[in-house]
Amino acid sequence: MCGLDAFFSALQAVLNGLLTGALYALIGMGMALIFGVMRIVNFAHGTFLMLGMYATYFIFVKTWLNPYFGFVLAGVLLFCLGYAVYRGLLRHMPVQSDFMQILLTLGLALILTDAVQLTFGADYHQINIPLVAKNVHLGSHISLNAPWLVSFALAVVLGGAMYFFVMHTMIGRAARAIAQNRYASPLVGINVHRVQAVSFGLGVAGAGIAGGLLLPVFYIYPTVGDQFTLKAFVIVVLGGMGSIQGAAVAGLVLGVVENLTSLYWGNEWALAVDFVIFLLVLSLRPSGIFGSQRV
Amino acid sequence: MKRSELLIAAFCFVVCLLIPLVVRADYQLQVLFRVFLFAAMGLAWNLVGGYTGQLSLGHAAYFGAGAYAMALLPRLGVSIWFALLLGIVVAVAFAALIGGVSFRLRGPYFALATIAFAEVLRLVAKNLPNVTGGDVGIQVPPLFTHAINRSFYLSAVVLAATAFGITVWVSHSKFGYYLMAIREDEDTALSVGVNTARTKLQALFVSAGITALGGALYGSLFLFIVPDQVLSLDISNEIAIVAMLGGAGTVLGPILGAVVLETASEVFKNVFHEAHLLIYGILLVVVVMFLPEGIVGSVNSWLHRRRAAFAAAARTQARRTSTP
Repeated sequence: MCGLDAFFSALQAVLNGLLTGALYALIGMGMALIFGVMRIVNFAHGTFLMLGMYATYFIFVKTWLNPYFGFVLAGVLLFCLGYAVYRGLLRHMPVQSDFMQILLTLGLALILTDAVQLTFGADYHQINIPLVAKNVHLGSHISLNAPWLVSFALAVVLGGAMYFFVMHTMIGRAARAIAQNRYASPLVGINVHRVQAVSFGLGVAGAGIAGGLLLPVFYIYPTVGDQFTLKAFVIVVLGGMGSIQGAAVAGLVLGVVENLTSLYWGNEWALAVDFVIFLLVLSLRPSGIFGSQRV
Repeated sequence: MKRSELLIAAFCFVVCLLIPLVVRADYQLQVLFRVFLFAAMGLAWNLVGGYTGQLSLGHAAYFGAGAYAMALLPRLGVSIWFALLLGIVVAVAFAALIGGVSFRLRGPYFALATIAFAEVLRLVAKNLPNVTGGDVGIQVPPLFTHAINRSFYLSAVVLAATAFGITVWVSHSKFGYYLMAIREDEDTALSVGVNTARTKLQALFVSAGITALGGALYGSLFLFIVPDQVLSLDISNEIAIVAMLGGAGTVLGPILGAVVLETASEVFKNVFHEAHLLIYGILLVVVVMFLPEGIVGSVNSWLHRRRAAFAAAARTQARRTSTP
């Protein structure tokens, strides 16, 4: 019986991991589009996620619009912000290098985080919706939290949409063409800056939407996004540079690994395991699990 | 370095040593301590980030190594001054590990790997309460017991002067040219016979050692350290911003950067009590958008352009007068 209990608790952790992992996948796919495909090093990804959370929170508090609808508005807002950041800042950097991109997005992350802190204060906020207390029971041993199930379903749909966008639309194809050859793509009629701005906006919107979906199950505070910036990089590298589907799978893998780590070693080591995986992948298999390109 | 420049540097050093005769308030001395401490660490970072072009965003690892060595080793019976020196050894050992893995990576992956290492160290320090005190923190023994603020200020000045001396030497030595060759084009440097792996590691060792001393001084002044402070990304960022703001790859840049950043940060702390990181963000964006070479770098290239323009004007003048 003891062995069976252990099995069920492991199974529970794996299922929880997949539910968390779907949101990681969404965050990671946004980053895969920005960093993996377009090679823009975005150190503000988690900050955009945090802004998505605050936007959804604000919409909820002001209009009582359920966050599972409010996240759409947050996504639209974040798309506009991402578009503006690319048009206004990234495009106009006098020295175009990844070194400068890191510093610029890092600076932007600090500004946005502290702006939120000045506006809303450093206090923790949480929203109460009835869905949070509901659980779905599978048999007598496994129970899954309802908001995570909803966010899982939404993340699958949105992740699929993002995959479709990158692989099958004109703008997605153009973004991949720019990644392959920056100088030849304008020659075949691609408006590089427009395509990059739209793709950057969509990647940022992905982070913002994930933030909106996380809102019901998370406390929010201005630095809540920081942990997700590095996590997004971990996911992209693990999944393989330039691979959107790789990022999706890597997000799920990371969610499961984190939950199993929490189960066996304790919650406090979960984040450390992320970084250890990251360093191992970078040093042993730099093309990631699914990628074909070397980092 | 020309003799006149050497004299100016020596004069500035003496002036800095004499400042405590005029400034006596504890608060002001602590601000000045911070300026020189971050000038020293900015200069140290500059060896790796500026001259070698490797954007390390994980220097908190060495800072924390120095601070924790200072806190933990005296508990094992090591004298505090020896603990200060052993902190350098610990930091260099970390540098060997971190550099050994990260230097094989280029561009953003190097930066990410350095962050990951620093974060792993922070989490380990947080999660081993029996050793490091965990989140609660740990006491650090004081290095000085008399005239505390003045003594710490003077140590920071000496550390900054040492870092400055090393930077001056590097900027004119063969070693320094190796570093700059790696920055400009690593593959070419390799092909002309520079042992890039070893050279990068050596630069990181020096950088880590100085940063560890900075961390030990910092911990010892404030007498108490926690992982989220001394091993945080904020420390790594602050060190890098100091150097980038003043001018990466210049001798004077990090010093000027430390003066500007720390002054601005003090002013901001007094105005917005909560959001003092805002100024770091604003300065970073300003540097990237308007001063990509940093303050010193931009002034240098402006002077260079002006001199070139004068020379060109003089040449035209000479040609005009020589033709009949």
